[in-house]
Order: sequence, then structure tokens, then C-alpha cells
Amino acid sequence: MFTTGSKLLLGSTALAVVFAIVYGVTAQGTLGVFGLLSAAVALGLIAGINIYSGDANVSVDDTAAATVAAAARQAPTGSPWPVVGVAGIALVMIGLVTTSMVTVIGLVAILAAVIEWMLQAWSEHGSADEAYNGEIRARLANPLEMPILATIFAAIVILGFSRIMLALSKVGTVVAFSVIAAVVLFIAFLMAAKTAVASRTLGGVVAIGVIALVAGGAVAAVSGERDMHVIETTAALAERGQCGTEPSEADKKASQTVAAKSNQAATVTLDADGSLSVSVPGFSPSAQSVTLPRSNPNNVLFRNQSDHERRLVIDLGPSGDSESKTLCTALVEPGAVQLLTVMFDKPSFAVEGGHRFTVPGVDTAVLKVVVP
Amino acid sequence: MAIIERPTETLVPATATPAYVTPDSGLGVFRRPVQSEGWKSWLFTVDHKKLGIMYGVTAMAFFVIGGIEAMLIRAQLAGPDGTILSADKYNQMFTMHATTMVFLFVMPMAAAFANYMVPLQVGARDVAFPRINAFGFWAFLFGGIFINTSWILGGAADGGWFMYAPNSSVTFSPTNGIDFWVLGLLITGIASQTGAINLIVTALNMRAPGMSLMRMPIFTWMILVVQFLLVFAIPVITVALVLLMFQRQFDATFFSVEFGADPLLWQHLFWIFGHPEVYILVLPAFGIVSEVLPVFSKKPLFGYPFVVFSGAAIGFVGWGVWAHHMFASGLGPVSVAVFSVATMAIAVPTGVKIINWTLTMWGGKLRFTTAMLFSVGLIIQFTIGGLSGVTHSVAPSDTQQTDTYYIVAHFHYVLFGGAILGIFSGLYYWWPKVFGKLLNETLGKGNFWLMIIGMNLTFGPMHIIGLQGQPRRMYRWTEARAGEGFFNLGFWNLVSSIGTLILAIGVLLFFINVWVSHRKGTVASPLDPWDARSLEWLTSNPPKEHNFDRLPTVHALDEVFHRKYEDVGTDGHHEYKQVATTEELLAIEEANADAHIHMPSPSYWPIVLAFSLPILAYGVIYNLVLMVVGAAILVLGMYGWALEPSTAPETDFDQSPPSGGSELEVASHG
Amino acid sequence: MTFHERTNVQTSEPMTSVASVSSDQISRSRRPVLALGAVIGAGVVASSCAAQAPQDTWSPAGENAQMIHNLQWPIFAVAGIVGLIVFAAVGYAVWKFRDRGQPIPEQTHGKPALEIALTILPAVILAVIAVPTVSTIFALADTTDTECVVNVTGQQWWWEYDYPIADDGSICGFMPTAGNASPIITSGQMVLPVGTKVLVRGTSRDVIHSYWIPRLNGKKDMVPGRVHYLRLETDTPGIYAGQCTEFCGLSHANMRMEVIALERADFQKWLDNELKPYQAPETAAAKAGETVFIQQCARCHQINGLVDPINGELVVSAPDQFVWSGAAPNLTNLMMRNTFAGATWDLLSPQCRARVWEAAPEEFGERFLEGVTPECLNTVDLREWLRNSPAKKPMYADAEMLEVTDGKTRGMPYLALSEDQIDLLIAYLLERK
Repeated sequence: MFTTGSKLLLGSTALAVVFAIVYGVTAQGTLGVFGLLSAAVALGLIAGINIYSGDANVSVDDTAAATVAAAARQAPTGSPWPVVGVAGIALVMIGLVTTSMVTVIGLVAILAAVIEWMLQAWSEHGSADEAYNGEIRARLANPLEMPILATIFAAIVILGFSRIMLALSKVGTVVAFSVIAAVVLFIAFLMAAKTAVASRTLGGVVAIGVIALVAGGAVAAVSGERDMHVIETTAALAERGQCGTEPSEADKKASQTVAAKSNQAATVTLDADGSLSVSVPGFSPSAQSVTLPRSNPNNVLFRNQSDHERRLVIDLGPSGDSESKTLCTALVEPGAVQLLTVMFDKPSFAVEGGHRFTVPGVDTAVLKVVVP
Repeated sequence: MAIIERPTETLVPATATPAYVTPDSGLGVFRRPVQSEGWKSWLFTVDHKKLGIMYGVTAMAFFVIGGIEAMLIRAQLAGPDGTILSADKYNQMFTMHATTMVFLFVMPMAAAFANYMVPLQVGARDVAFPRINAFGFWAFLFGGIFINTSWILGGAADGGWFMYAPNSSVTFSPTNGIDFWVLGLLITGIASQTGAINLIVTALNMRAPGMSLMRMPIFTWMILVVQFLLVFAIPVITVALVLLMFQRQFDATFFSVEFGADPLLWQHLFWIFGHPEVYILVLPAFGIVSEVLPVFSKKPLFGYPFVVFSGAAIGFVGWGVWAHHMFASGLGPVSVAVFSVATMAIAVPTGVKIINWTLTMWGGKLRFTTAMLFSVGLIIQFTIGGLSGVTHSVAPSDTQQTDTYYIVAHFHYVLFGGAILGIFSGLYYWWPKVFGKLLNETLGKGNFWLMIIGMNLTFGPMHIIGLQGQPRRMYRWTEARAGEGFFNLGFWNLVSSIGTLILAIGVLLFFINVWVSHRKGTVASPLDPWDARSLEWLTSNPPKEHNFDRLPTVHALDEVFHRKYEDVGTDGHHEYKQVATTEELLAIEEANADAHIHMPSPSYWPIVLAFSLPILAYGVIYNLVLMVVGAAILVLGMYGWALEPSTAPETDFDQSPPSGGSELEVASHG
Repeated sequence: MTFHERTNVQTSEPMTSVASVSSDQISRSRRPVLALGAVIGAGVVASSCAAQAPQDTWSPAGENAQMIHNLQWPIFAVAGIVGLIVFAAVGYAVWKFRDRGQPIPEQTHGKPALEIALTILPAVILAVIAVPTVSTIFALADTTDTECVVNVTGQQWWWEYDYPIADDGSICGFMPTAGNASPIITSGQMVLPVGTKVLVRGTSRDVIHSYWIPRLNGKKDMVPGRVHYLRLETDTPGIYAGQCTEFCGLSHANMRMEVIALERADFQKWLDNELKPYQAPETAAAKAGETVFIQQCARCHQINGLVDPINGELVVSAPDQFVWSGAAPNLTNLMMRNTFAGATWDLLSPQCRARVWEAAPEEFGERFLEGVTPECLNTVDLREWLRNSPAKKPMYADAEMLEVTDGKTRGMPYLALSEDQIDLLIAYLLERK
């Protein structure tokens, strides 16, 4: 009934429970108790499985298999899992005194070793047919292994690449990855030309690549990211009160970043003579004032027909506790357009001087906005 | 059952070299179930016939739920300022009525007929992917239940089945109703998509020898068109639903105007799905009618190729008319004009069908069974719906009619008069095939007339109500806008509400009929009660588990008719003489039965996999931990599915011959 | 006339035609259908010659609706005729070819020539329909011949109108007599001059709404972030009822609107009245009511020109801080409107309502411009509204819903006003015209 393995596991379960009680009484630590009890539950579960499955011990209830199973007929094949398991334990220890990340890696290694070890032992006892045993192992293990390995591989590639890209300078990134791409292409070309390449060679090349990536990534991660440049927006400009004639970074290639809505409330045009006019369907083509509803995001298209780069500005007046709030477009090249979404909190009569669209640098360009 | 299962080999003497034996089944826990009787046989079945019946029963249950919702709506609107439902409940009610009827009744009911009949009609033993078929059913069932649990978890979705943004965002609908709706439809969408691919492969790859595409029964053809529509339409609604889920769950801004989004995006996505959906709903019914009319007219379907190609044409043009649901949404005159004309164009293939049905009856020998009555009723009622459809393909006219009760009248004539009458026609026609018992014809005729009178009283007045300017989706209407005289809205609203009662009694008669036919020991149906024409009648009633004793070879459209009758006329004169009865035909089949018939084994995993989906969905709404549980079940299900052996071992089966009356030895695996 | 009486009068006619089932099975299958067809047909004829429900889509009262009507009635007629032909053909087949023991007919699969002909026939009919359809679509989208512009903004669950001022100081093509053009803003009822080509420029502040005055034009969705255009023109003075037709949430049914069409002279009077300066309250009750208004209402509702007597400052409402849509109806000349709360309830008592709503066109302007007098006020609904508005009109105004809207309400919240406060407020509001 109780196999050797299950005795060990049951003993460990009992021990964990005892330790939990002792720890709980002496140290009063709930976390420790919780951990130990969890361990007890886990060990008990494994013990149960162990008993139920006969500890992968064929001879327990199937004496025939004891003689015909592959495991009974030849020495077990080599296995990497004892080493991995021990390495995992070592890593857990190291991690406990250094950094928790190492512990996590150790725990993962132990978990992998336990599962793989059990799978291997189980499959070797499966039948007398070794090929068949390999098959059932693959059938059970591959759906588990493949996604995990693929995820790990993808994570390594993504992390490695991204660390390197973030660490190198802008130009350096372009050069580095052009070179890498060329190398990859070259190797691929070589392999295509030499079709009979051994899988060992291929594996070696891939391994070198992965190691290089990991090493590069690690170095890059240690050296830290380069200084990132945050592109300024017109909102930031407005906040600093710099909606003037001076070009700033927010104005770079402004007309290329226009989000031209299919549908605007009004089109405001700056003419070459320095006058600002508005066109709204239903009115004559160009009017000198525009009525826009309150508390509503109005999309106004600014069209610059003058000879200079200009921007459209609107002063929304004080809002709540804050001081006067301004909105502006980026500097718009001659002949280009840009959209300004403007929301009026207050009616015009509540704002001193009313709402007005203006264009810095063109004093004559004033357009009255009526907010009822 | 043990986790480890080893081959049970006889003990080999220690002295001899043991033989290497490869076992025929390895992993015990993943053994396949074998029950063919009892509740387990239904839970784990992959038989297309059992699944078809379960689809039908579930859909009918949802039909009742949707019907009760409809009756509550009409009760609320029977008089001015109705107080039966609160505004909030009313909004939930009409949202769920449409959702239930479209996604949980008509679509799965079509799936029920398709699942049951397509393999039989093409002479196959099952669908192409039996386990996926089972998964589809369970996903639909769990998805449907999931949506409806929102009633007791804070209120159902209240945005209308069209769920226009931004009214569907959290700000405007703070309860979880819309989350349930979104996730539930994602689940039923998975069901539809898997079912569609399954049926396409079945219809294209599993046809009996000799059945060219142009000899395929018309019902299967229409189902094939519908499945192609589904394959392309479901991804569109899935995208829209995922966007909405992100909008609601993760504060995405796909439909937030304040971040520069355009709410019309949702409308385009929804209607690119939504319009083909209309044909998804109605084409299966067209297929049923196109089967029933020839049988009871004793004539082949008039212009079979025209009906086939008009169905396919609807399948194509149906993708180019979605914006006619949006004529009032400010598209601009060019788009409106284009979609207006395209909408008129799609009326042509629909008209072709009406003409062909009429001409099928023309010169025939018509027997008015209940199934036939429903089919003739469909022609008339659908024509009314189609013609009112033409009046709003004219975009300016539509801007007066859209979102009023006139539209409600229109699409109920199309969907009730089209889809549902077709479904009832199919129920009466195929009932003896599926259950081996005839439904009572007297009750059936009562059923028909009450439904026809009921639907015309319910939906007919809505034309008037709509043209008098009563909008849809209002939880109450007011006397102040009701007008006076013949067109008084109060009178017609009351008529409409009374109509629902008659309609409900009509539907109730159907259930009574079923009860009578199954409880009162009505005699078993003859093998071929209707003198039918297509391949599903070349087997017993109900069909054997393996459908056909030998796979039939097809020589003509209407194969069974041509096996039964021979043209003995001469000189261009036709005279048909019966040369065989169906019983004789079946006896021939049984005498030449295939020696080994391979049927798929049942499986645990479809239901497990499907069960994980609502758990995941509850997790999305309530707690991410629940999602982990759902994901674990999902992974387990996929794992189990992938590891399941392709057959159950022979020894697991009951050794007695399977039911169906055949003396054959049927090896139920392969 | 009560609802039930009307029902009794009307039930007989259609019910009998449906219920009279003859013994002949075949004609039975056609009878309800034909009866229905007859009912619809009769409806088509009758509704085109008599004004019925206020939102009748078959009683055009302006050029745009007339354009639609000129298109829709022939199409209904064509559809009706086609329907009758199909019914006749099916009916004939059902009667003629019923099973009377005739031999099994020829197993023919059709006649391609006949098929093609019967395919081309509907295609031709539809092609003929398509031509006027397309031209009408473009005619109804024209915005170049506008004489008057009105901005319309929808929100849950009422409509706001404002009248933009042209460069020459005119509003809607009219010069204010006093010369001082300031924007007019109102809600619920849009006042328009007759015989004027009006262009509505519409948008929405929250969800999609749809503006629909059936007797003036088809509907147009008002979509947040977009501006949509709708042409309106009225022929005769009167009230034209409408209803929001895009489902817009809880109180969708309570989002109505009217267009008030006035003779041009009457419109000028209305315009001048709207532009007059703030009228200080006269009676003591109204004066006290002004204080209540400032304390209880003015944080959301604007009354133009209202000055707080305590600090002498202009009272500026800030609905953007309290209401999700960011707007509340401007109440400057409330009593010049005769509906309130999304045009759902009347400000006029039932007797006075009939006097205005059913006035002959030539008398209408005068009666409308009287506004709501104290005798005519519908105190029942107005008091209920002030007492507890969310109870009267379903709105998301309760605290449990505030979390998802940054503490803002959707619609008017419960204000816990005392009966005295309500009296004073009504006294104050009665003078707002």
C-alpha cells in the first residue's frame, strides 16, 4: 500500500504540520504558518498521487510489468533533472541572501525538475516498448513544454533586444540592428546555399546568437537606458503661456500630424492680408464671428493662407480656481491646416472681453466667438 | 480509472524474451466515454442528431423567454403612460428581447436544423468535426445562460441590441448588464464560428458519392451560404465587442469623443455584421420552405439553380448594404445614395425567391399539411416585410421611418414572417423524421392560424403606429401625441398588445401538440409520411445512430423521389408511376449495409472546454482570480482534448448491438 | 374623449374583417392578409388627406417633408400593387392547384427564359425608383440656400437651441429692433419664422440623439463630436411636434421637442422679447423666489442678466461642474415656452393648452406670444417636478450612480425644496417671459 516514495512524502507532510504548529505557537508568525501549511497540503497532495499511482512503481501491483517494462530491462537513461533540481535548491539559498529574483528562478528550476523527473520516471515504466514510452511522454509533456519554452524564448528575445535598443544611442541602434539583420540574413543565405547543414551546426549558431543576445541584453540593462526625449505638445505650450510666434519643438512638422476630422464645427481662415474669417455651412462663405455651443468639444479647423507660419490661439478666460486658460494650435505652414478642439466652460458674457480667436504676430487677426 | 494505465498483456514467462507490445490505448484518464443511453449519453455526445435536438430544445426555451419579454413590452405599451415596467427595466427588456430572439433563438434554431439535417441530406454519418460540434452547442448554451444571469446580477444590458456607442460606455450604463451582453455574445460567437466551419466542411467534403453541388438539397445550400456569411460576419462583431469590452473594462477610448474618437465607428462595425446577420437569420428558413413546398406540391423546386444562385447573390450583396441602417446618422449624400441603390439591388434576388416559390406551387398537386401552411404563410408574410423593406431602401423615405414602429413592423414581418414561420414549417415537416412520431395536424392547423392571426394583429398595426410617428424604444407613449380618429395610436397599440396574446396562445398550441404527440401514445409515424424527396428520408425514423446502413449513391436532385417514381410517359408526355415504397428502398439499403461503420466516440472535453468560457467571462467582470480559474479549466480542457485517444477501446463498449433495430454489428469507433 | 371610448368605437371594423373566417380553407389563408393590406391601404389614403397624430409622417407641412412625401407615396403605391399581385398569384395557385386527385405533375426544374424575365422585371421597377430617390437625397442635403441658422445641441434628455448672430447683427435673418444682438438660447421648443429656409446645425454633448420633426423633415442623428445639418421649413404657423428617435438611455421616451412656427412679424416680436434686458421681479413673492433661485437653481440654470443682490455680481451658472453633459436649460424666458423638462410636460394647463395647440394659423402667433399666464400655468406637473424631478422623469441623479461620472449627475437631482420654496420659485418663474 505505502510505497517508499509515499512514506517519505507522508512523513514530510506530517513534519510540515508539526513545524507549522510549533512555529505558530512560538513565533506567532501567520505568514510562516501559512507557508508551512501550504507545503503540507502540497506534500499531502503529491503523496496522495504517489499512493494512487503506485509511486510509478510497477512492481507494486503488476508483477508482470516488473519484468517486461523497459525500465526493468535496462538501466535508466541519463537525466539532467537531478542537476537542475540541485542547482535550483542552490539558487534558492543564494537568493535568500541576495535578491528575491534568484530565489524565484531557483523555485522555477525545482518545479521544472520535479515535474520533468516524475514524467520521465513514469514514462520509463509505461510499457515494454521504449519507443512507445517515449511517445506517451511526448504526448503528455509536449503540450506543457512547448508553450513554456516558446514563451521563455520570446521573452529572452524581446527583453534582450529591447534592452539593447534602449541603451544604445539613436544612431547606434540603427547601426547595430542593421548589422545584426545583415548577419542573420547572411547566415540564412549560407544555410540555404548549403542545404546539408547539420542540425548540430544550426543549433550551435542559434545558441551563440541567443547567448550573444542575453549577454548584450544584460550589459545593456546594467548600463541603463539612454536619455529619452519627450516630444512637446501644444497643450504644454499653452500651459507655459508660450503660444506666441516663436517656433518650438511642438511645432515641428505640425501639418503632418493634423488629425483632419471629417466633420468640423467651423473653418477659421487666416488670409494673406492678415484678416481672420470663419466659414460655417448655412452662412455666407466668410463671416467675422462664429457662435459655438458651451460645454461641448468643438472641432475648429485652422487654415493658414498667409505667407508665414502662424498659429491660432484662443483665450478661454479663468476657469474655476485656475488662471486664464489658453489653447493653441501648432505653428501651421502657409497653405496648411490644423485642427483645434476647444471646449468653452463659460458663456461669452461671463468672460471679460468675450472669447476671441487670435493669431500671434498678426494684430489685425481677431475673430469673435460667441458662446451663448 | 488510474492515472497510469499499462497494457494488459498476458504474463510472459521470465525465461522467454518478452515481446515488445505497443498498447492500443495509453492514458486512462483521457479515455473516451462510451455511454449511448442515459443523461451521460447526452452530456458527452458528439452525435450530430443528439446535438441538433439539444440545440432545438435550448433554442425553444430561449424562444419562450424572449416571448415573455416581448409580452411584457407589449403589456407596458398597451395603454398610455404604462407603469408595468420602469424605464430602466423596459430598456433592459427590449434589449434582451432582441438579443434573445436573434442570438439565442433563431440562430441556434437554424443550427439545430442544420446540425440534424445537413449530414442526413448529404448522405454522411456525422459532421466533419464532431467534437467541435459538441463544443459549439455547449458554448452556445453556456453563453446564453451567462447573458441571462445578468437579470439577477444587477440588471441586464440596457443599450438596445445595437448597443450604439457612446451610450454603451460605463458612464451611461453603469451596471454590469452590457458587460454580460458583450462577453456572452463573444461566447456565442465562438459557438457560431466553430459551427459554421464545421458545416462548411461537412457540406463541401462529406457529400455522398454522386452528389455534385448542383444536386445538393436546397436546404443544405442555404445553410452553406449562411455558414459562409457567419464565417465572415462573426469576426466583425467580435472585433466590435472586444473594442467595447476594452472600453468598459480597461478604460480604452475607442468610442470616447473627448479623446477624438468617432462614435460612428461602432455603427459601421455593428452593421457590417448586422446586415449579413439578417440573412443569417432568414436564409435557413428560406431553405426549409424550399424543401417543404416541392414535397407538398409534388414538383421539384422551380428554378433550383436560380434559387441557389439568388441565395449566393444575397450572400454577396448582403455585405454592401450595411449603411442603410444608418441613413439618418449623417453619412453625407453620396454614401446615402450609394447604399440606397445597393439596398434596392438586393431586393431582386429576394424577389426571385418569392417568384420561384410561387411557380413551384403553380401546376402542382398541393396538399395543405401544417408544414405546407406555414410555408405558404411565409411567402405571404415575408412578401409584406420585403415590400415594406423596399419603402425604406428609399433613403429620404427611410429618414421618416427609421427608428419608428414602422421599422419594427417591417423586421418582424421579415423575421417572424420569414424566419419563425419557416422554423415552424420545418418543425412540423421534420418532426416524424427526428422523433418517429407525427405531430397532430388538427392542433397544428390551429397553431398555424392562431400564429398568423396573432402576428398580423401584433405587427400589422405597427405599420400604422410607426407612420403616425411613434418612435421605437420608448418605455411609454403619451396621449398628447396619439392623435384621433382611425389612426389613433392608443387603439392600434392596444390591438397590437392583444395580438401578442393570440400569438402566444398559438405558440402554446405547438407545445401542447408536442406534449400530445409524445404523451398520449400517438401512433408512430410511417417511414415517409409526406412522400418526400431528399436523402434524409432514406433511413429509419428516427435515423439510426450511424444514419445510413450504406452510404447512398446519388444520381439526381431529389434522389429519393426518383428512386420511388419512374417516368413512364412517352413522346414528351410525362406520367409518373410508383416503382418502390420507401420501406422497400430502406430494406435494400439494410440488405447491403456496410460491414464496418466507423462512428466517432463521445467525449468529455467539449463540455469542459465550453464551461471554462463563462467562468472566464465572470472573471472579466468580477474578479481576475476567477479568470485564473477559468483559464485553468480552459487549459485543462484543451489538454484533455488534445490527449484524448481517437477512439474508445472496443472493450469499453456494451457488446449488444446498438439501438436502431439493425442486426448489424457496428463498431462504434474509428 | 377618453382612451377607452375610442377603443370601443374603433374595434369593430378591423376585428370583424380578420375574424370572419370563411369555411373555405384556401380563401382563409388570404383573408387576414388581404384585410391587413386593405387596412394599410386605407391608412395610406386616409392619412394623406387628414392631419392625424401630431407626428404623422404622411402630413408634410413644409418643403422638405413634402419632397420626401412626393417620393414615398408612389413607392408605397408601387409596393402595394406588387404585393397585391403576389398575393393574387399565390392565392390563385393555392386554390387552383390544390390536390384534387390530379396526376403527379411534370418534374420540371423551371423555364430559364421565364426566370430571367421575372428577374429583370423587379430590377427594372427598382431602377425606376432609384432615379428620383438619388435626386431627392441630394436635394435634401443642400445647405447653400439657407436663410436662417439655428444651432441645436442634444443632451440627456432635452434639446438646447441657440441662434447664431450674423456679421450684420441679424439673428435668423431678422434684425433686432433694439439693435443689440446678443445670443438667444432656449430649450425644448425651437421658434422659427414661417416660409424661411432654416438650417439646423446639430451636435450632442453626450450620447447620440436624433432630431425629428416628422411634418417638417426626416430625422437626423446628432452625434457627439460631429456637426450634422438638417433643413427645416414651415408653411403655416403652428406647433410641430417631434421626438428624439435615437435611443439615448433611460429617459429616451421623455425627450421630446417642438417647432413653433410664427408669422414673420410675430417672430420679430418674439426675437425682440428674447433680447430685452433682465426683468427684475415685481411682487414680493417673486423677489423672494429670486433668492431661492439663486441659492437652489442658479448653479446649473442660467438666467441671463440675473445679478446677485448680495454681492452685486452677475450670476453665472456652472452646469459643467455639476451635470455630466455640461449643460442645463437656460431659463431666461421660461414662460415664453409652453413645455418643460425635455418638452415632456406642459407649462400650460389643459384648457389653455388646447387654446394654443389647436389655434387656427392666423390666431396662433398671438396666442403663443401671450406666454404662460398665472391663470394658465399647469401647476400640477410643475410642482411635482420641483418637488422631486427624478421621480417624475427617470434620470441618473442619485448618489450611487455618481461614481462613474466624477460626482456629476445626469439630469436634474432631487433638491429637497420645501413647499414654500416651491411657491416662491413659481412666483418668480412666472415673471420670466
